[in-house]
Amino acid sequence: MTGLVSTIVEAWQELRINKTRILLALIGVALSVAALTTVVGMGNLVREGYKASSERNGGRSATLNLGVYGPTMPDPEKLSQAYRGIQERYGIKYSTNVSQAQHGFQFPNGVQDVQLHVVDPGYGVIHRIEVDHGSWFADSDEQRFAPALVVSETFYNAAGRPNLTTDPVVTLAGAQKTTAVIIGVVPDQYPYPGMPPSAYMLTGAAEKAGVTAGAYGMSSQFEIWVQDAQAESLQAAITADLQQQFPGMEAQANRGDYASHGDPFAMVQLAVGGIAGLVMLLGAVGMLNISMVTVRYRVREIGIRRSFGATSQRVFVGVMMESVVATAVAGVVGVMLAVAVVKNPWIESKIAPGLTEFPPFPLEAAMLGLGAAILVGALAGAIPALVAVRVKVIDAIRF
Amino acid sequence: MEELVSLTAVTRTVRLPDDAELHILKGIDLAVHAGDHTAIIGRSGGGKSTLLNLIGLLDLPSTGEIRFLGEPVNHLSNNARARLRGESVGFVFQQFNLLPGRSALDNVITPLLYAKGSGFWRRRELAMEMLDRVGLSARADVLPNMLSGGEQQRVAIARALVRKPRLILADEPTGALDVETGQTVMALLDTVATESGSALITITHDSNVAALARACYRLEAGVLTAVDVPLRPGTPGAETSASDEAVGASAGAGA
Repeated sequence: MTGLVSTIVEAWQELRINKTRILLALIGVALSVAALTTVVGMGNLVREGYKASSERNGGRSATLNLGVYGPTMPDPEKLSQAYRGIQERYGIKYSTNVSQAQHGFQFPNGVQDVQLHVVDPGYGVIHRIEVDHGSWFADSDEQRFAPALVVSETFYNAAGRPNLTTDPVVTLAGAQKTTAVIIGVVPDQYPYPGMPPSAYMLTGAAEKAGVTAGAYGMSSQFEIWVQDAQAESLQAAITADLQQQFPGMEAQANRGDYASHGDPFAMVQLAVGGIAGLVMLLGAVGMLNISMVTVRYRVREIGIRRSFGATSQRVFVGVMMESVVATAVAGVVGVMLAVAVVKNPWIESKIAPGLTEFPPFPLEAAMLGLGAAILVGALAGAIPALVAVRVKVIDAIRF
Repeated sequence: MEELVSLTAVTRTVRLPDDAELHILKGIDLAVHAGDHTAIIGRSGGGKSTLLNLIGLLDLPSTGEIRFLGEPVNHLSNNARARLRGESVGFVFQQFNLLPGRSALDNVITPLLYAKGSGFWRRRELAMEMLDRVGLSARADVLPNMLSGGEQQRVAIARALVRKPRLILADEPTGALDVETGQTVMALLDTVATESGSALITITHDSNVAALARACYRLEAGVLTAVDVPLRPGTPGAETSASDEAVGASAGAGA
């Protein structure tokens, strides 16, 4: 107990006496840590931004798009039966039909064409749809008499931003004049001025409302969400399965998500991480340099302490602790600097424009920065500490 | 009286870069008892510092045996020797060797940082008491570079004695002081050591310093011989100069 306290007291005394020199060495370490943590934090933000927009487009990792193509369109009834069979056989939890349609809607200021995404409730999970107001479709929404709609911000504005708790309705233009209920609002996919209104509608409801899917000559797609590890084997099995059911046609099960060709950021992250590592190394070398010089300068002092009974462990721990404690403090300062930079709203909006909600500062980046600082302190402290331990007492005193 | 340190047939040999062997100490026999005041005199390069390193447990002999408080130390680990040194030996150096940037009080506290129990917890109080004994309690907060040479050596003496060592090793304690200050400091060291019951071994080539000892040895070319204690300056028959010749003449007369 006394040994531990006295070691700390001694190290603290040393820190106090050498504060100016240590402070100078630490500025370099703090800046290196700030650089490293900022790079990792920003990389994370960019990745999150890219991932969010990619997931909205292509689905989460791993999303398989199933399709059967041939000289003639496959029978829709048979196709949907085949998809249902696959879902059951392979235990797929989340799946969705996806097709596009265009339909006129009656807005307060006239009829406007709306781009309709005709989907199933599973689409919300697969594409990680986040609603701003209201909610995404539930399975029971398919049974509603008036079809449910999840609309884009532009649509919502055109409809006069009604209160969703009052079950606001809009009318689909056309012979049927169906009334639909807005249950949720999502952000515009590409927020640019003049963006046409868009909305999501469930497949069953679209059929009842007489909305013709397959606009733009695009056939309906079927998406399933599977585990990353199983993606490859399922891809092969499902393709073969479909092929067997539709002889003479071409069955496909392709990955459409952003991670289908590996992590697109791995290389960038590696390069940026490498640069950050170099920056950190420079900080470490600076720290080591100063520590070495001061140990040479302190050889006599170490000799004197040893003549008064300081054991070699004590000398080692003292020199080491000075370095580690100091770099840990510098690490905290560096991480705080990095957080201030990365969490700056202006920087956030420039780096990840696709995000509506920014993730918190990544803990792993902060831990990495702090860990790197302490490691640098330990390494930069170990070498001079070893030199200090090897000092011959009498030679040192006469130094 | 209790035997504190004993050296039996101790030699110290170092290997030179050209592979030749240099015999620094040859067959040293020495016994120091509690309360002894011993002076070791000799010319520079005679092996005085090497002998001091061995007595102070800073080094180990090539052959022969050293016992500290009756226990052989040849097989003790570095750390065990460091602890024994911290508890039992106090050093006073020629160049004072105070830690720069620390106040006189902090310097006296330094050895207590390596003490266990109350020695560590009461370090400030003990250090103040010791500074008071060397008459420097009023200068406790002053940095070494603001102290005179004599004051610095008094701080060094307080530091050497603060853990109440059984043995005080003084390496040319007056070497960096003028004659008068040197005598004052030596008298203080002698008094404080006597009061504490510590043994004092002084390495010096100053006959005035050697004259304060109760026993005197001469170390020349690695061989230690007992000689008469030089007479104090001012006593009839004593040399007035503080030179090596005086020491040599006196030692020669005794040999």
